[in-house]
Amino acid sequence: MLKVFKYTLIDLARNRFVLGYALLMLFVAEGLFFVEDDPTKALLSLVQVVMALVPLIALVFTIVYSYDSLEFTQLLAVQPIARRSILAGQLLALCTALLVAQGFGLGLPLIVHLPNMAALMLSLAGSGLVLVFTALGLLIALKQREKARGVGVGLTVWFLFVLVYDALLMALMFSFSDHPIEPYVVPLAALNPVDMGRILVMLQVDLAAMMGYSGAIYKHFFGSLGGIAVAAVVLLLWFFGPTLFSFRTFQRKDL
Amino acid sequence: MAEPRITFTDVGKRYGKLWALRELNVAFHPGEVVMIIGPNGSGKTTLIKCLLGLVRPTTGSIAVNGEVIGTDPNYRRSIGYMPQISQFPAALTIGQLLDMMRDIRGLNDAVVDDRLINELGLDKQLDKRLSDLSGGTRQKVSAVLALRSKPEILVMDEPTAGLDPVSASKVLGHAAEVREQGGTVLITSHLMEEVEALADRIAYLEDGQLRFILPMDEILQSTGQQRLAKALPLLLERKLAAGMNV
Repeated sequence: MLKVFKYTLIDLARNRFVLGYALLMLFVAEGLFFVEDDPTKALLSLVQVVMALVPLIALVFTIVYSYDSLEFTQLLAVQPIARRSILAGQLLALCTALLVAQGFGLGLPLIVHLPNMAALMLSLAGSGLVLVFTALGLLIALKQREKARGVGVGLTVWFLFVLVYDALLMALMFSFSDHPIEPYVVPLAALNPVDMGRILVMLQVDLAAMMGYSGAIYKHFFGSLGGIAVAAVVLLLWFFGPTLFSFRTFQRKDL
Repeated sequence: MAEPRITFTDVGKRYGKLWALRELNVAFHPGEVVMIIGPNGSGKTTLIKCLLGLVRPTTGSIAVNGEVIGTDPNYRRSIGYMPQISQFPAALTIGQLLDMMRDIRGLNDAVVDDRLINELGLDKQLDKRLSDLSGGTRQKVSAVLALRSKPEILVMDEPTAGLDPVSASKVLGHAAEVREQGGTVLITSHLMEEVEALADRIAYLEDGQLRFILPMDEILQSTGQQRLAKALPLLLERKLAAGMNV
């Protein structure tokens, strides 16, 4: 597994897309801190960018990379090495490459301009999203035989998580505005890793007051250490769930 | 005759409703080169993929050196494989790829046979990125990867496609060496002229079924031809006339 990881990482380290991702994040983060006088406002804008961009990049890149390396994966699969080692090495390398790129592009400006808990939370939430959507991307690539179809499914998943889910949640809250449904919004929001990442960061910049009753519930729940631990566990489940399915799929897949 | 090195017993592979391979019963022996031929979609690649563990047979079993292959990947230690399409990680160099495969196979320098690297002129290109290589050079790298571990079983899918005649001849020369050392070589190729001199037996597949597997000499003698490309159509015609459903 470590051998596959090592050489896949060497390959990814020179990948233009990964380098471009690091530079794009750096450009966006530095740009926002440059145009906003208040670093906290820049952070809030950055949250929106990260929550939309990170899942998209992680999904699409993982899917495209997986399809492009299919012939090489076949060559690895005819070596005396277990399939689970191949997949684990590739997944670990993809996550590492994207996390390092994000650490450089996002983490560095945050350390320089706003070294506080909110920035740390944004970095952690962003890293969590990289893991979750890389795992989802890998599963999609393994389930779909055609590259175009795989990318299409990936974009649909991104659209669902980033836009549709929020819209549905808001519609639900609006429809049942006469009822006390806020307590149910917390677990519903936690089902979406993008929403959960956003809430965790927002609570660190004390925007709960602007989020009304739901904000108070979020703060009550996620504001505690226990809540943060639950959030971390949910993100890990979002990572390990698709990963386990990927291993099962790859083990049985005809290459 | 020696114990078979590879035995297919009732092997079938179904993709959806289509049987790509049906009731395949055949054995391949040490010290022989078998050329697997047949029209497109006849099941050649599926046969190879079943042996390599890339696809799981729907029915039947495959044994290598008497052991039925399952999920344990160790049997592949004895197999060298040269695929038809060679696609490698773009940013790695040839040298890094060779190191990677040596590490994965757990080979040490005493076991590795790197003569082909020099013979194919790759020794001067070891620092070149794989993305910068022509299709032919990628095939050469692929041949080196298949042959450098001195495999007991060598599987080559269209080995000469994309190679210049000199390189093709060198690669086939090394395949012949594998046979001389008691190895089993399976080759699929549409370019019969290039491979026929090497082949001991010819296996003909059609519609996923093995129609015949015959010694090369027998095919040429029975048809009175010198070349396989001419002998094969005659043989197929005869078998058709004899009602053998070919």
